[in-house]
Amino acid sequence: MRAIALIDGNNFYASCEQSINPQLRKKPLVILSNNDGCIIARSSEARTLKIEMGIPYFKIKKKLDQLGVVVLSSNYSLYGDISKRLMNLLRSHCEKIEIYSIDEAFVSISKPHDNNLYPWARELRTLIYQNLGITITIGIGENKVNAKLANRLAKSINSSAGIFDLTTINKRSDYLKKIRVENIWGVGNQTSKWLKSKGIKNAQELKDMCQYELKKKLGVVGQRIQMELKGYQCLPIEEIKSTKKEIQVSRSFGKPITKLEDLKQALAIYSIRASEKMRIQNLQTSSITVFARTSHYSNSIYQKSAHKKLIEATSNTNIILKIVLELSKDIYHPEYKFAKAGVLMQNLTQSNYFQRSLGNYTSIEDLKKGEVLIKTIDSINRKFKTGAITWGITQRSLEWKMNKNLLSDTSTTDIKKIPIIII
Amino acid sequence: MGRFLRNLYIPLLSGSVSAGFPSPADDYVEDNIDLNEYLIKNPFSTFFLRVKGDSMVDSGIQNDDLIVVDKSLTPKLGSIVIAMIDGEFTVKRLARKNDELYLKSENHDYPDLSFKNHYDIQIWGVVIYSIHHLG
Repeated sequence: MRAIALIDGNNFYASCEQSINPQLRKKPLVILSNNDGCIIARSSEARTLKIEMGIPYFKIKKKLDQLGVVVLSSNYSLYGDISKRLMNLLRSHCEKIEIYSIDEAFVSISKPHDNNLYPWARELRTLIYQNLGITITIGIGENKVNAKLANRLAKSINSSAGIFDLTTINKRSDYLKKIRVENIWGVGNQTSKWLKSKGIKNAQELKDMCQYELKKKLGVVGQRIQMELKGYQCLPIEEIKSTKKEIQVSRSFGKPITKLEDLKQALAIYSIRASEKMRIQNLQTSSITVFARTSHYSNSIYQKSAHKKLIEATSNTNIILKIVLELSKDIYHPEYKFAKAGVLMQNLTQSNYFQRSLGNYTSIEDLKKGEVLIKTIDSINRKFKTGAITWGITQRSLEWKMNKNLLSDTSTTDIKKIPIIII
Repeated sequence: MGRFLRNLYIPLLSGSVSAGFPSPADDYVEDNIDLNEYLIKNPFSTFFLRVKGDSMVDSGIQNDDLIVVDKSLTPKLGSIVIAMIDGEFTVKRLARKNDELYLKSENHDYPDLSFKNHYDIQIWGVVIYSIHHLG
């Protein structure tokens, strides 16, 4: 018998910060989104103080000061590194793993003879805490939907100590009744509204619902959720994610942009990053979109995008930059203050299936030269540091750069910023 | 693991080739010395920290050294450990006196720390290497 577990890190971003900085331990701590906008993570101590998620920082700053809450900008290079370590440790202790998000993974495990997975789960929890200093929650079910559900139960039931196995529960309906439909994995906003209008409020009721009515309205997707609630396995563990359909790089600015030069610079930096991302995954684009918009809180709201289809797919930064800079003129408007912009690469294809178009303009020689140059730049950047070699446009001072006033600035990946220990 | 695989290769053997003749050593160049491989046994639980201070000089850890810490190891008697004491990191040797564990400084000018006197004490990891720059 096999089971599926959903494993996630508790208060992941806050735990990463606390794990490498002892001064933050046992303290209420919140992490702000990019640009120090909203609260996106809280330590358990901050949760206890009833500080809510998603609140804009400026609205709650005073209260946080009064309560002595530590406030940090998000430090994604740290969270990314700890996440990688976590996933690799999980991989070496489970049979199959599907990384679901930065702090969540589905894993597959076979059950021991006595069906008791608690010893395995306890050991794994201890191991992750010792190795990384973060606490995980483990929910076990027959399938993904039930594993998610079990994980939720593990968090809400105090006596569970972070582990809940739904497969060994005697009276399952007691627990399924505790889960509201909108909290079931795969049930979105619209679906839960419809379900509630039909009188279906919790997981048990969805499980028992007439399958024909469910299928008629929600199709196979709804039926799958119900089947999984009943204990069948419909959704496999996906070890390798199917290739991405599009790559987007967009950010909001620290200060609004009004000059075309600044907009061009921002879009250039995002294009360089997007091109790198494509090359890492061996992808090429044949459809480039740039977009920019004003703030949602602005008096005069404006947004515009511009688009170009390419005859030949590419991941060459030089070619992409030229197009993006051209397109940025189309979306710029001198009367508006831009708060956010981005680039979007679509129609992605694998680079190995390289198609030459009939009416192409670049000679094969030039194409090869361009490719060699980009490959060289990539390998130099890999060896030294991202940005060791870059394009001139990025070098002008960045007046609009993201605010990260409260960055902890500690790193586990950059030797210049590793924790300092006074002895 | 990407970062750990970004290895620094130092050729084990290298010979300059004089024109016309291949180096007789060419067939013997097999591999490179990989310091990451040498210093890091458990890449997912290994962290680097920078030391400031001289309370551990007798153990060989000096001011400004880079220390390599493996969190997966269980500390043994005599291990040099990173301990968290009341919200601060420190480096000490795990020692025992009269059946009681304590944290020993490796410098006569510094006091030892007993587990009893501290409310919040936890071993964070075991120091496996100290990298010292000789200038």
